[in-house]
Amino acid sequence: MTLTDERTEEVAVNPRLERAARRRESWRGFLHAVPAYVYLIVFFVLPLIVVFVFSFASRSRTGRPELENWNVDGWTRLTDELVRTIVTRSLFVAALNTVLCLIIGYQFAYWIATRRKQSTRTILLILVLIPFWSNFLVRTYAWRMLLDSDGYITQLGELTGLWGRTLFTLPAVFLGLLYGYLPFMVLPLYAAIERIDWSLVEAGRDLYASGTKAFMKITLPLSRPGIVAGSILVFIPSLGAYVTPDILGGAKTTLLGNFIVTQFGAARNWPFGSALSSAILMVMLLATILYFRSGARTV
Amino acid sequence: MSIDGAPAVGLHGVTKKFGVDVVAVDDMGLEIRDGEFFSLLGPSGCGKTTTLRMIAGLEFPTDGSIQIFGDEMGLRPPNKRPVNTVFQSYALFPHMNVEQNVGFGLRMKGVDRSEEKQRVNEAIDLVRLSGLNTRRPGALSGGQQQRVALARALVNQPKVLLLDEPLGALDLKLRQTMQLELKDIQADVGITFIYVTHDQEEALTMSDRIGVMNEGKLVQVGVSEEIYESPANLFVASFVGDMSFLPAEVVEPGSVRLAGGEIVRAKTDSNPGTSVTLALRPEKLHLFANASEAPPDRNALSGTVTRRTFYGESLYYEVAVGASGSFDVRVENLPVMRRWEVGDEVVVDFHPDSTTALAE
Repeated sequence: MTLTDERTEEVAVNPRLERAARRRESWRGFLHAVPAYVYLIVFFVLPLIVVFVFSFASRSRTGRPELENWNVDGWTRLTDELVRTIVTRSLFVAALNTVLCLIIGYQFAYWIATRRKQSTRTILLILVLIPFWSNFLVRTYAWRMLLDSDGYITQLGELTGLWGRTLFTLPAVFLGLLYGYLPFMVLPLYAAIERIDWSLVEAGRDLYASGTKAFMKITLPLSRPGIVAGSILVFIPSLGAYVTPDILGGAKTTLLGNFIVTQFGAARNWPFGSALSSAILMVMLLATILYFRSGARTV
Repeated sequence: MSIDGAPAVGLHGVTKKFGVDVVAVDDMGLEIRDGEFFSLLGPSGCGKTTTLRMIAGLEFPTDGSIQIFGDEMGLRPPNKRPVNTVFQSYALFPHMNVEQNVGFGLRMKGVDRSEEKQRVNEAIDLVRLSGLNTRRPGALSGGQQQRVALARALVNQPKVLLLDEPLGALDLKLRQTMQLELKDIQADVGITFIYVTHDQEEALTMSDRIGVMNEGKLVQVGVSEEIYESPANLFVASFVGDMSFLPAEVVEPGSVRLAGGEIVRAKTDSNPGTSVTLALRPEKLHLFANASEAPPDRNALSGTVTRRTFYGESLYYEVAVGASGSFDVRVENLPVMRRWEVGDEVVVDFHPDSTTALAE
């Protein structure tokens, strides 16, 4: 690797020419990115700034947010007992869902990635993606029917005497979340596992590692980029999940997503909702950066 | 549990099939002696790597048995065999540094920390990588990675070291240096080496014995000289070194007739009338201006120079002898040697003992 680097430097005899070429190259690259930049700034960054600004607004008697008498009431409310409970509960739900997705998704991704024929792997990956072809809300309602009193899953539970009606309970929420986010775990894991050079595992076996040891010491560390990416892709949306807890949990156990929606709806407390949204966004951003850094270092 | 006097590795009727009709290794029988540097030589796809992988336990034979020092291997997994492998791609663990890579086997075996550290350092010294202990493989050159792979295998003091084209990815100069080093290391540690290569020169220079493989079959086993001087068949002759091949027919024992009618004295004891291929090494042929200059009681055939190739230390002449075919002649690039031009009439001279008559 170092050899090639040295060679490239040798070729670059005229630093001025080299710089000019690089500048032109980067300018051209930027032009291609302009549409995406414009779109993201107008529809993503600006709205977020609006949310952030509104977190300092005051409320009129009717609950209308007013920017004239700005204050930090929305932010001070973040320390409320209620907020803490909901945040803790949501973190627990998101973390447990991530772990469940990881355990189930890893095995599945490993199985797909180790199929010998490329066509088999492609078909299995398409099967993972098929649920996305229909609307998430529709699919969640389908779950609602399955879990309701006369639903098949409930009937099966009653038949075996193992469970009853699960709709509007926490297990129902977990079922929905697991179902919804499993593909987001499988795909990056598959990408990481598929890239693993299997001769490394063979080398491990050759060096006296049992199958389990070789997995723990070689396969697992080498799939770490996939674990990191998959966990982020599952954890973050699980933390802010709104549709699933609302439809399958019956809004009985309030999670962050539902709580924020309530602030903008029934509670008519936009400043508090905005502050909560902004705070979560910032914390998650920081956590993600740290997590990615720790994952990127391994290989 | 090894049996005294048993060969380091014994293969008996070993066959490996992939799927129904792909026979990678076909009924292979071979005994490799303790302390020997044994090379498996053959073109890609000849089954040499599969054979090595079966000894390592990374593949299992479809039929036959493999013993290591008399110990039946059967379906024993690789981690329970007293062999280690140097992989073609090195297969160094990218997430571990040099020290951790080299120490991996010892850690898996449960060798205690202080002994591990000592043996790892010894192995790193042996392959002359001291000071690079904490480097990751990605920060090493190809030659250094190769040494790490070697140290990682040797540190476990295996009974047999398996090497799968370990020098294939290195450039020529480095490969030659590493060939000598490998040979020295082998002499040093006294472990049996089984070396898989498609490079005939590498096999000839390094090995105590060579096994030549083709299409899943072991076609000849012998020391370098035997393989080179008396190839068992046309395949070995054409795969190992350069040779000119001429169709011929046995006239009587010790004499053959070429396609153009010339009678040539050759090493053969086949029955008269048998079709053979006369094989000749370019360096064993000599060129003279006419038959009277050539030494008597040998073979002298008149021909025309049709091509001249300059190799630096030598020149190769292609000489066409009528309807019999062409001979490649190697001439040392010495000041005393006469230079020939394309179109020159010459006499090709060779000793009967320098010929090989290969039956079809």
